[in-house]
Amino acid sequence: MSTTLMLGVLAGAILSGTSLLYATLGETIVERSGLVNLGLEGILLIGASVGFSVTAVTGNAWLGLGAAAAAGCLANLLFGWLVVTRKANQLASGLALMFFGFGVSALVGAPHVGAVIVGLPKWRPAWLGAQSWVQATTLFNYDLLTWLAIPAALLVWWCLFRTRWGLGVRAVGESPGAAFASGRNPAALQFQALSAGGLLGGLAGAHLSLSLTLTWAEYMTAGRGFIAIALVIFSKWNPLRAVAGALLFGGAEALQLQLQARGSLISPFLLDMTPYLLTLLVLLAWGGARRLAAPASLGRTFYGSD
Amino acid sequence: MKMPLRILAGLCVLALGLAATRAQAEAPRLIIGAVYVGSTNDYGYNKSFHDALAQVARELPGVKVIEAENVPESADAERVMEGMVQQGAKLIFPTSFGHKDFARKVAKRHRDVAFEHPGDGNTEKNFGVFFGSTQIAWYAMGVSAGKMTRTHKLGFVIGMPIGYALGNVNAFQMGARSVNPKAKTVVVVTGGWSDKAKEAGAANALLDQGCDVVAMHVDSPATIIQTVEARGGMSIGFQSTEARALAPKGWITGLGFTWTPFFLEVAKNVMAGKFRGEAVYQGLGGMVAIAPFGPSVPADVQKLVNDAATKIKKGFNPFTGPITDNTGSVVLPPGASIGNDQMGNFNWYVEGVIGKVR
Repeated sequence: MSTTLMLGVLAGAILSGTSLLYATLGETIVERSGLVNLGLEGILLIGASVGFSVTAVTGNAWLGLGAAAAAGCLANLLFGWLVVTRKANQLASGLALMFFGFGVSALVGAPHVGAVIVGLPKWRPAWLGAQSWVQATTLFNYDLLTWLAIPAALLVWWCLFRTRWGLGVRAVGESPGAAFASGRNPAALQFQALSAGGLLGGLAGAHLSLSLTLTWAEYMTAGRGFIAIALVIFSKWNPLRAVAGALLFGGAEALQLQLQARGSLISPFLLDMTPYLLTLLVLLAWGGARRLAAPASLGRTFYGSD
Repeated sequence: MKMPLRILAGLCVLALGLAATRAQAEAPRLIIGAVYVGSTNDYGYNKSFHDALAQVARELPGVKVIEAENVPESADAERVMEGMVQQGAKLIFPTSFGHKDFARKVAKRHRDVAFEHPGDGNTEKNFGVFFGSTQIAWYAMGVSAGKMTRTHKLGFVIGMPIGYALGNVNAFQMGARSVNPKAKTVVVVTGGWSDKAKEAGAANALLDQGCDVVAMHVDSPATIIQTVEARGGMSIGFQSTEARALAPKGWITGLGFTWTPFFLEVAKNVMAGKFRGEAVYQGLGGMVAIAPFGPSVPADVQKLVNDAATKIKKGFNPFTGPITDNTGSVVLPPGASIGNDQMGNFNWYVEGVIGKVR
């Protein structure tokens, strides 16, 4: 691989990996608490649409970002009301949430299709911008969300694995009955996990509309929510591995675009499959390992301990 | 309780009757129904139809337009059109390619209602097809790109490798080559007509690999134009000539659809009872127009582009043999040519295009 190709792939991987990473981090927290939210695609769409609409109306991308996070959070709380409070089936509720997200995002975004916005400000340190190999790419010219992507992953990892709250969340994900018996409130912890997850999902969607594309179009996420769900499995429910996963998945997309831009004669449709192929390979390789297994109660409804 | 109810019912009927006579008194001479697959303010395809119909309503007194946005390409479209017929529409534009089959069903049931569909296929007495042939017009865009580029590498982002898109790319490269023998066009396929994040990635990839002019064939050009503008590249727009607002510095020019003259003619024919479904395909000067130039385009380049446009309007067709594709085989023998009705049939890239069809 030549240098320009490598730099291009890296730059593209970081740009498209940012929203993947935030979405994956959010879903990781949720799944660690024992809930599967297949509606992540809908959350991303709501985040993208609300973020764009608020920015178009107020002219302030930061307000848009905040609104996107709040909207993502709210949508996940709705999911929580369904599956935690009402004990509805998680898979069905997740799919319903996804379709709800399609509809709501289209409704909210419709008046603002075609609006021109000033997106999140980007910043590149001057000493890096002076390097010629940096200038030719988008490297290091990032908005706040991209700069904070890896710190966010570290923070989520620390919260899940180094705090009492994280221990509680993981305990609920493994065995809500045992967590309940040891004095934790599974429902409360799941709602907290959903809030954090929805917030991150909203930010992920907002990154697409407020930074990467500066537009809103119906169904613009084009399956990124599902890639993020695959990434959670790929990274084995670990926020730090998710960083590598998001870069790899983002890189797969960037690689196929860069290869086309260089005139490579590999079929773009073949390259497009790479992320899903990687997930299948990871499942094949480490699918059975206990240490890397899914939370034991993932997807199960906790009916209380009586 | 019974009497008052009956009186109320009677009053309602009376009111309805009054409303009906009122409506009759002001009845429009023609109701036009328009069905859109997306939103009409998309800076692109849907907006071009909406704007043209609004213009028709302004120019022809007594014409009323009823519109339905976000109508999926499903049986829903059939119901929406059926509703428009019930409301008295005598001319219907199902504007999305995928509305075709549903429109044909409604047209069969209502022989007195005229349909105009932007696409292809058989025409019937009350079903016409039309489209703006953009392919040959892209030749003029290629002329502008070939003169403006400094790296001699032009980028072209397309949603799917369909014949119409390949035709646009081919004419673009031929136009560029006509003024710049070193010009090459690099194609990136995103795999969808509206995958915005990938469009941004594709534009970035083209700039990373040394292209300095980027053209596109996707639903809305907004993301690509803004991405290119932010990195100091130049862009050529498509679908709506309004997209130049997105690139105050890097805009070169673009192609947009202008349906108004054709729509006016169709509406007049329907009102006169003379409508007959036909296949109408027009290029530059008809349903396709060139957008204003950006501030960075020098006068001599503008002249070259305008000359090319004039040549095209007079009947020049770049798709005239001999033509070699980018694998070196002759795809069009000397003298043979490809007309406006065959633009969907391309399955090759012309010499100088860097890309692979499948």
